[in-house]
Formats: sequence, C-alpha cells, structure tokens
Amino acid sequence: MTVDLAEIARYMRMGASVPEGELAARVEKLRDEALGTVRAARIWRRFKVSDGAIKSGSVRLEIGGTLAQHIAGCQDAFLVCGTIGSAFDAFQRRASVSSGVDALVVQAIGAALIEKWMDETEDEIRKELAPDESLVSRYSPGYGDFPLAAQRTLLDLLDAPRCAGVSLTDSLLMVPSKSVSAVIGVKKGMSSE
Amino acid sequence: MTDLMAQTGRVLFLDGGMGTQLQAKGLQPGEVPELWNLSRPADVRAVHEAYFAAGADTVYTNTFGANAAKYHGDAPLADVITAAVGIAREAASAAGRKRFVALDVGPTGRLLKPSGDFEFDAAYDAFAEQVAVGAKAGADLVVVETMGDTYEIKAAVLAAKENSSLPVIATVALGEDGKLLTGADVECVAAILEGLRVDALGFNCGFGPDLMLPYVRRLAAMTSLPIAVKPNAGLPQVVDGRTVFTVGPEEFARDVAALVDAGASIVGGCCGTTPAHIAAVKAALGTRAPKPHSPAPRTIIASGSRAVEISMDDTVIIGERINPTGKKKLKAALTEGDVAYVLREAVSQADAGAHILDVNVGVPGLDEPAVLDSTIQAVQSVTDLPLQIDTSDPKALERALRHYNGKALVNSVNGKEESMSAVLPLVAKYGGAVVALTLDEAGIPPIADGRIAIAKKILARGAEYGLKPSDFVIDVLCLAVSADAQSANVILESLQRARCELGCRTCLGVSNISFGLPARPLLNATFYTMALANGLSAGIVNPLAADMMTAYRAFRALTAKDATCAEWIEHFREWAPTSTVSATGGKSAAPGVQGDAKQTESPISTAIRHGLKSDAATAAKAALANGAAALDIIGNDIVPALEVVGKGFEAGTMFLPQLLMAAEAAGAAFEVVRASLPTRDDGSVRGPIIMATVKGDIHDIGKNICRALLENYGFKVIDLGRDVSPEAVVTAALRENARLVGLSALMTTTVGAMEETIRLVHERVPGCLVTVGGAVLTSDFAEKIGADHYARNAMGLVRYAESIFP
Repeated sequence: MTVDLAEIARYMRMGASVPEGELAARVEKLRDEALGTVRAARIWRRFKVSDGAIKSGSVRLEIGGTLAQHIAGCQDAFLVCGTIGSAFDAFQRRASVSSGVDALVVQAIGAALIEKWMDETEDEIRKELAPDESLVSRYSPGYGDFPLAAQRTLLDLLDAPRCAGVSLTDSLLMVPSKSVSAVIGVKKGMSSE
Repeated sequence: MTDLMAQTGRVLFLDGGMGTQLQAKGLQPGEVPELWNLSRPADVRAVHEAYFAAGADTVYTNTFGANAAKYHGDAPLADVITAAVGIAREAASAAGRKRFVALDVGPTGRLLKPSGDFEFDAAYDAFAEQVAVGAKAGADLVVVETMGDTYEIKAAVLAAKENSSLPVIATVALGEDGKLLTGADVECVAAILEGLRVDALGFNCGFGPDLMLPYVRRLAAMTSLPIAVKPNAGLPQVVDGRTVFTVGPEEFARDVAALVDAGASIVGGCCGTTPAHIAAVKAALGTRAPKPHSPAPRTIIASGSRAVEISMDDTVIIGERINPTGKKKLKAALTEGDVAYVLREAVSQADAGAHILDVNVGVPGLDEPAVLDSTIQAVQSVTDLPLQIDTSDPKALERALRHYNGKALVNSVNGKEESMSAVLPLVAKYGGAVVALTLDEAGIPPIADGRIAIAKKILARGAEYGLKPSDFVIDVLCLAVSADAQSANVILESLQRARCELGCRTCLGVSNISFGLPARPLLNATFYTMALANGLSAGIVNPLAADMMTAYRAFRALTAKDATCAEWIEHFREWAPTSTVSATGGKSAAPGVQGDAKQTESPISTAIRHGLKSDAATAAKAALANGAAALDIIGNDIVPALEVVGKGFEAGTMFLPQLLMAAEAAGAAFEVVRASLPTRDDGSVRGPIIMATVKGDIHDIGKNICRALLENYGFKVIDLGRDVSPEAVVTAALRENARLVGLSALMTTTVGAMEETIRLVHERVPGCLVTVGGAVLTSDFAEKIGADHYARNAMGLVRYAESIFP
C-alpha cells in the first residue's frame, strides 16, 4: 500500500495544489519512512439488520436516526474496523517532536493511508457479495446522530482489540489513532454505484 | 510443568482452542465467553474433558478475558474466575493421572500508553486481581497469552509473579511479518521475557504451525528456556461470511512435530484447533523428548520494539546528552517540566546514530523518582531506542525499571555493599543489564588489578541473585589524564582484562579523559579510538559530536565490522575538506528564487520565504561574518520575511505547510543570530506560554504545530505534553508566572476537561489568559467554556501571542 503526493496534499490543507520542491522532497521522504511503520490490520463481519438493530445473541447495536436512513432498505450490513497500526503513531510522535512541518505532513500521510486501506478493505468485502448485492458508503459512530458511544458495541461485535488491535480510550477515541470503524449496508437489487 | 517435563522426559501437551469450541456450541460474536462458566458450566467442562481425553496434560481455564479492564458481564468477576478454575479442576480430577489447570490470562483489550490512554499500573491491577483469585481457586500455573504489546506482557507477568508463587508461561501473538502489533520482533520479546524470569515462553495464535517454524528457530537461538507453542489451525479464512480455519488434524500434527524438532517442548493449539488436532499431535509426538537448545549467553537490552546487543564483537553508542550535569538548559527544562526540550534531545541523538540513550534527571531539589519515571515514559513515546536508566537513588531506579517498557540497561551498581544489595535484586526482578562501576568503599583503585578485582566481586554478588556475567557491562571508569598521567593506560589495560579475564562486555564515559585540557574534542576522539581498539563494547558519548561519530565509523570500517564499508561510504559520500568556509555563505540563493525576489531582499529573507532551513542558517552566518549586527538581522531580515509569509497565509496565497517551512527556516536563522546577541536576557525571547493537550486527549499534532510556529516566531513555550491534568497546568502557570496558557482538545469527549482547566486557571492564576484550539472547537463554543481567545489556526495563535507580548 502506498499513497501519492496528491492524495497526501488533500489532507495537508493545501486545497488543490500539490507540494513542490523542498516540500515535495520532505513529503516523499517522510512517506517512505512512514510506510516502513505501517502494520495494517482489519476485521469485518456480516450481520442481519432487523427491528432497528444488529443483534448477536444478547448483544445489540441500535440502528436508528441518520444511520437508519443511510442504510434504509438494507437487510444486512457489514461491521468493519481497520487500522494502520500503533507503530505509525510512534513514528508520528517522533516526527512531531522537533518540526511542525513534519507533524503536519505525517498527520496527512496517516490520514491518506487509512483512507486508502479502508477503500481497499471495501473492495475485499465486495468480493463476498452476491451478484445482485452492492455496498452503501461507510457510516461511522460520530457521524450524524450515530452516537460515539456505539463504538464500544461495534468493536465488541468484531472482537476488534484481538482481531485488529484496535481499542478505545476512556474518551471513546479509537487507538491506534489512524483507525476507522463503520457500518456498511448491503443493498439488494440493481447496484447504484 | 517443567518438573513434569523432567520427570517424563517428554514434550508436554496443552489443549486446543476454547473460543472456537464455545462458538460451535452457540456462543455469539460480542457475547462474553466467561459468563458460560456460570450459565453453562457443563459445556465448558465438556471442552476441557475432550482435550484431556485427547491427551492434553494441561488445559487453559475459560478466563481469557476475565480481567476487570475487559470483562463487562453482569456477574461478579471473581465468581466467574473461581468457577472457571473449579470447572477445569473437576475435569482434571476426572481425567485421572496428573493433569494441570492453567489460569488463562489474555490481554485487557486496551491500548497502553503512550499509543493509548491505559496506564501500566491499571493493567497491572487488572491482572493482579485475576491472578490472585485464580491462584486462590486452585490453578497450578499461570499462562499469559495472545499478547501483542510487550508493555502489557510485562504488566501481566509482574502481576502473576507478585500475586502468586505459580510458574508462569508467556506466549505472544505474532503477525504474519513475525512482529507484535506494537512492532517487537522475536529477539526483543525473548530478551524482555527472559529478563522477567518467566518459566517458559513462546507463541500462540496468529497463524498456523507451518508459518511459526522460522520464529521458533529464532527463539531457540535466543533462549535456553522451554518454548511453548499454540498455533492456530492455519490462517483464518472467510467462507460464506464466516471465519473458518482449514488445517486438519494430520497436517497440523505434522507441522507441530517440526516445531518440536526446532526446539518447542510445550505444544498445543489455538483458534480453530479441536480435540482431534490435539489427539493427532499426541499421536505424532507420543513420548518424544524435547530437543535441548542452549545458545551462548548474549547481552541484549530492549525497548518495547527494538533489541540492541552489547557485544564482544562490535560496539554501540550510548547517547549521553540527557544528563543535566553541566547542562544549564536541560536543568531548566527538567525543573520547568518542559517535556518537549527533553524529547528533542532524545530524537536528535537517535537521528545522529545513537543505539541506546542514557536518561539521568539528577537535579537537586527535584523529586527524582517521579521525574525519572515520567521522563522515561515520555522519551519512550518518541524513540524506540532502549534506554540506560541512570540514577543513584534505588527508589527512583525501582519505579523507573517497573514502568520502563522493555529490558533496560541500569546505570549503575558499584562494589560498595550498599549499592550491590540495593541494585542487584532490582535487576534480577525486572530484568536488565547493569553497568558495574569498578569502585568500592575504598574508592577507585589506581591500577587495573584493583579495578578487575572489584568487577569480580560484583559478578560474584550478582551470581547470588541469579545474574550471569552476560548481565553485566563493566565500566572501568574514565579519569582525566590531566590529573593522572597513567589514567588512559590503566583504562585500556582494564578494558582488555575485563573482556579476556572476566568474559564481560565493557562501557566507558569517554569524554572524561580530556577534562581540564584544551581542545577536548581532539583528545576525546583519539582516546575513543584507542578504547575501541582495546575492546570497548559501548561508548557513552555525545552522538552529536562529529569527531566522535567519525571515530566510531572509522573504527568499524577499519575492523571489518562495517564489512563492505557501506556505512562509511553512505555517510561520507559527499565529504569534502572543510578548511575553507565561504564568507559569502556557501550556497547563496535557492534555485528558482532570483526571478521572484525583490531586488533588495537579503539572502536570509529569500531563504526564509522559500522555507530553506539550512540556507537560512548559512546566510545568517555569512551576514554575521560580514559584520551585520545580530539585532539588525532579526529586525531587517528575519522578522520582515516572516511577516510576508504570515500575510500570505492569512490571504490564502500560502498554505500551512509552506508557512511552517518558512517559520522553521526563520527559526534556524534566529538560532544562529541569537548566539551572538549581547546577552541572553535581552528581551528577544517573549513569553513564556504554557501549552498542553487537555486531560484525556492523547492527540497532540495541532498543539505541536502551534508550539513549533510560536518558537520560530521567537516565543518561549513550555510544552507540558498531552493528557495533562488541570492541576498540572495551573502548577506550571503559577511557577512561571505565565500570562498566557494555550490548550488543545481534539474530541468532543475531552472538551469537558478543557472547560475545567480554563476554570481552574482563571480561579488560581489571576491575570493569566487562556487561548484554546482544536478540531471540535468553534469561536462560540470557546467563549461558552470560558476561554479568553479562540485560535482558529496556528497563525491566529501567533497573532494573539504577539498582542499579549508586544
């Protein structure tokens, strides 16, 4: 997995412009170092959605509000969680000790990498779909009115600490920091994507 | 266990998967498996019985997640653990001949600091409770398994040893690249676990026995302890939306037999393995005797993710700069709690090529145990180099050793009885290698005979605590040649003899040799070379001193340690004699600059506007050499260039990365010029500004960017780090008499802590303003929680700071 300068620049608050010269060299160097620290992991699992929830034995993840609208009509949904790992966080901490530029650039590299990793993960998930099924876009705790507190149940259902090395802080922050969790609805019928 | 191995003379058999067996009986994803110990004990017992029937000597209790940090069932945790041990005990008794019950201890499911927010001590407490209850309920041994973080393993093993007298087996889960989640490799894990004195160590989960083979071989080359393996039934595969393991019993048994040939002697299975797998392993191995492995002892220390060998055949560099002796700035930083300064010292030494970093915080009046502890944790958060814990206070040493992630180098023990009886037991308990200073109650012997005799005495005392010669690094002590003409000769002879007569590695604080003489760097580098030629294993040196690094690199190139001279070539590829320094400042303007620069713009301004750090510094040096006054350079070149860039950013024609690059270049030029300002206290430094990321928030990129920019604009910033309590902010603000505090919060869940910090600062530090920033904040919200100012971005913060400190 790698990311190019334009993808990184999108997360560097540089609008549509792409780094050049000295900055480009710095981004490339940091990107190559960062890639050496990436230990990407992911886990996903397919569940039934019924009565406004995903149920697994005695465990229940509520599917309401904006999330319910987002996956309206989906009888199944994937729960997914991915990360680029905690060694990247260590690299990011080190990079940000002495240079604001490096801090900003590494932050952007991480954002670009996890986004790419999750896109690749969705591609893998698509391979498990029946021919008449398609995925709706990812929806994460904290979006809309899907509560951040749902994060705990979502990660429990995936056994994410063990299977992907992703866990939560007391303030419901996912760690490692470059991690994504989401609900992805499965649509039946003609694909709209 | 190991007794049984000795009695039977054969490999021991563990059970197979528990979780996958319970899932087959109906356990659903997300449900708490341990609750079945109370609600469905017969099902749990049936799993144990099936494994005993298949030939297992030992089963693991159904307590993988039964620690207070992870468990969230509705029955009391102690009941769940007690029931689990009871069920396994019943199954063991029913099985007849001697069978064992292992208390299964899995991870907390929380990420420990620094990547997460979970405290080492909290993890320890969770494991301690689990072990105490399990031991009381009658477990025969403790297994710490499926660990992915060396720090968490350390908490669990310490908890097991301090809360029971049971044997401990520790196994880790490797990823497909042969490393733990946190990046430790096999060598690193082996060093740490051997140091913690586990009874057996190895691997479980992760993948099948075929992929485990190379790692078992590597482990057998590192340790003479028994090796335990519990592989999965192959890699997990998804079939029809379900996770399945596809390696059958026969194939599994064949591959496990290969692990035994490679040195494993305690074998079982993990995810996807069944009683049939264990029966097949038992059938394949029967009474096979373990294959002994006893590699030559090595001296290896480690961080949580990197092992470094202190070798008889090569030499490593211990960076000496985090030691306040004679360092005014570091002393001030430690006193002020300016974590960022210390971290920069750590990172710059790592970048310069140090292999190990010494950490000493001995400043009179400081609470050394507390400061050493927090400094070590902070340094470990930004570098993976192993650390040398440098203190003469046994209390500080114990606290630091306990919280250190990895296997540390301890600096130091000496031949005084008081020192040996305080330090050696700590090294034996927590693991580590220890620097042995060849001095005792009678002082430092003037000749080599005396120093070697003291080293022998320390080794002998160490043996009483189970420490081997390879656990020691002998420091024969470097005294100034200006005070004793024979000093260097005695040191060199002692180095040789420590190596040849004692079979020990050596270290030395090299630069003491030149104390009291002029041109110290020249003497130091020459003496360093001589010490290396006499077998020095580890030089305690300043890695930022070019002469020392050159001596190190030259020595390795000349003695076939840098075999193809690859490192030498890499480092000196562009080397040129430095006897002539251009008075016009080397490389002048940057490529492509001429066209767009104002005709009158100085090279300094140009370099700053283009973010060229080294060019800016070079141009500043040249300007000084040409007679420009320092204050003029600041006022005419540096500040105006920064102003142009700042305006560009505010106007949207420049972006944040470019602003930061320019600010860094300005900072580099400023650093050059500041050295030649008339006095340091000329008011050219504004501030101080106290900065912190609030309690509960561990993301500090935004704060770090702001700090860097402020510093480059000439402000003094005291950076308290991340996850900082309101009280700590107030303490620093009061001590510094601060007029401005900057707080950052990233999450909605931590804005409460920010509000509390603002309230406390306003209440206790009259006249101190608070500015806030962070992803979740808005101007309105900042006002609502009582902040005096909302910093929309880093430049906004600089502008505000300029208004406070005109």
